[in-house]
Amino acid sequence: MAHTNALAGTGVSIEIDGVVKRYRTMTAVDHVSLTVEPGEFLTLLGSSGSGKSTLLNIIAGFISADAGRVAVGGRDLTKVPPHKRDLGMVFQHYALFPHMNVRDNVAFPLRRRKVAKAEIAQRVQQALDVVELGRLAERRPAQLSGGQQQRVALARALVFQPEALLMDEPLGALDKRLREQLQVEIKRLHRELGTTFVFVTHDQEEALAMSDRIAVLRDGRLVQVGTPVELYERPASRYVAEFLGESNIFTGRCDQGTFVDTTTGVSFAVADHHVGDALVVRPEHVELAAVGATLASGRNAINGTVREVTYLGSGLRVDLDLPDGRRVIARTGTRGIHVPQVGEGVVAHWDPDHALAVADDVISDAKSDPGPDAGSASAA
Amino acid sequence: MTTRFLCRAGLVAVAVLTAIYLVAPVFVVVPTSFNDSSFLEFPPKDLSLRWYESFFTDPAWVNSALNSLQIGVWVTLLSVVLGTAAALAMVRGRYPLRAAVGALLVAPILVPYVILGLAVYALFLELGLTQTILGFVLVHTALAVPFVVINVGSALVSFDERLELAAMNLGASRLTTFLRVTLPNILPSMGAGALFAFITSFDEVVTSIFLAGPDVSTLPVQMWSGVRVQIDPTVAAVSTMLLLITVALFAVAGLVRALGARRAQKALVAAENA
Repeated sequence: MAHTNALAGTGVSIEIDGVVKRYRTMTAVDHVSLTVEPGEFLTLLGSSGSGKSTLLNIIAGFISADAGRVAVGGRDLTKVPPHKRDLGMVFQHYALFPHMNVRDNVAFPLRRRKVAKAEIAQRVQQALDVVELGRLAERRPAQLSGGQQQRVALARALVFQPEALLMDEPLGALDKRLREQLQVEIKRLHRELGTTFVFVTHDQEEALAMSDRIAVLRDGRLVQVGTPVELYERPASRYVAEFLGESNIFTGRCDQGTFVDTTTGVSFAVADHHVGDALVVRPEHVELAAVGATLASGRNAINGTVREVTYLGSGLRVDLDLPDGRRVIARTGTRGIHVPQVGEGVVAHWDPDHALAVADDVISDAKSDPGPDAGSASAA
Repeated sequence: MTTRFLCRAGLVAVAVLTAIYLVAPVFVVVPTSFNDSSFLEFPPKDLSLRWYESFFTDPAWVNSALNSLQIGVWVTLLSVVLGTAAALAMVRGRYPLRAAVGALLVAPILVPYVILGLAVYALFLELGLTQTILGFVLVHTALAVPFVVINVGSALVSFDERLELAAMNLGASRLTTFLRVTLPNILPSMGAGALFAFITSFDEVVTSIFLAGPDVSTLPVQMWSGVRVQIDPTVAAVSTMLLLITVALFAVAGLVRALGARRAQKALVAAENA
């Protein structure tokens, strides 16, 4: 893409250290410490009420933290007002100035910085070219589609070469096709600019697709930070396993390489360094065989009845009913396998290396936190 | 078929009667102003412009009109500034008893003007503010501020505060944010508030009667005494001119709104083609 270099950032680190934000009835951000590496694309992922947006607003300076500090590129910003932080921000609903045309919107941050007139014109044009909107410079925001508006917002947030770009669910208001298109575009911008990006979303697929690293937040607390692969393949807890991708969860007790299911008493082998009360098996690791077929040695197996077979194009999704009424999901390819029929009895089996015993924080949390507010999540 | 026809005819009749009821005074006052007679006479027998001449040659009329204009301009300026500030405090402020403050701001509309006029008269006699431009400006501003508060307040409620966050994020201080982002977006409502404020002041008779005297009077007070004391047909001429000005003002306002709507329509079409 032309002129991308004109917006290239330096890529600085963002250090979040023990940040706390309390509201009257809840703690929105609860002692979160996190370092965003220079030039990294980090996503804050969580459901509504997890504190992800509050944390982003604290970084931007719109909300002041009750405790803790935020430093960008080594500069402590805790006491710096938002307009002196030099961080770009993209909002979910674009927040373009309706009384200005596209050009003036993008020129706004440069004018505030007293950039010379000729340079403003040049940099605005470059920024608009980068998001491929150069020909719409004279339009008002109301004359643009949602996707175009969000691209103007991107250009506006990047034109002053901020130290980092913050994005608060920037694609949440767009339809699926546009969202995917802009995901690709934002990733490209990140790659070419080298600016540090902090992205907020509740969409796990989006987080997996875009991020260098993901920080999972829950009830204001940081649950796990890691690369998409780490989070998906080695979730630290049942909550993370269920939040990112599909999971089959068995609850029970793990002891020296054996996991005993509490409900059925069935035991499964697990790699022996695992401990935890929830066994996670991803659907793509579950294979199906006819009852009575010989399985490779050491595999975990469980009998079930086929409830539903869904053709997904790239493969099959098979829902099984276990004898105790629970459900197991298997995802398989369509080639060279026996396609099960609804009502058929089958054996679901998997390699113990693909079963992960993790902390069961979903149930224990419900027990330990039964207050009247436990279920009510406020907007993140 | 016939019942439908009758219903429809009845509806038309009611509509026409209502319209006549609303504009009939105008039909009386306009011809009367061109009357040659020394009495308020309808229908006029002979036509003349002598009552218009009487308005422009009588210093009492001209001075009261100039006073009204001067007071109106000051009231408009003051109440727009005060009302906008008050609306900001009412919509954006975070402080105890906010609802009570809001109610207090709109209270002058609800208090009977006679009571207000009497109270102000007693106070202003002490302060020596009766029969002064300042006195009128102070009282009229109190009456006009609520209109600005209501107009600007509703604009602020529908204004997206995230635009201000975006502006600050992009490097604008609080003041710059207000001037460059908030103000342009509430300006139309401030304009509407200003129009209301001017009309409130220019129209005001009740409190003004208390404050006016032989030295300083306003146009409505002059008109009122013109009818009460000597039945001066100049009143009809003044009324006709005021009517003309009002119609012109509303025509301009309507034109501005129509142009705005057409631009919005165009924008919508362009957005769909984009």
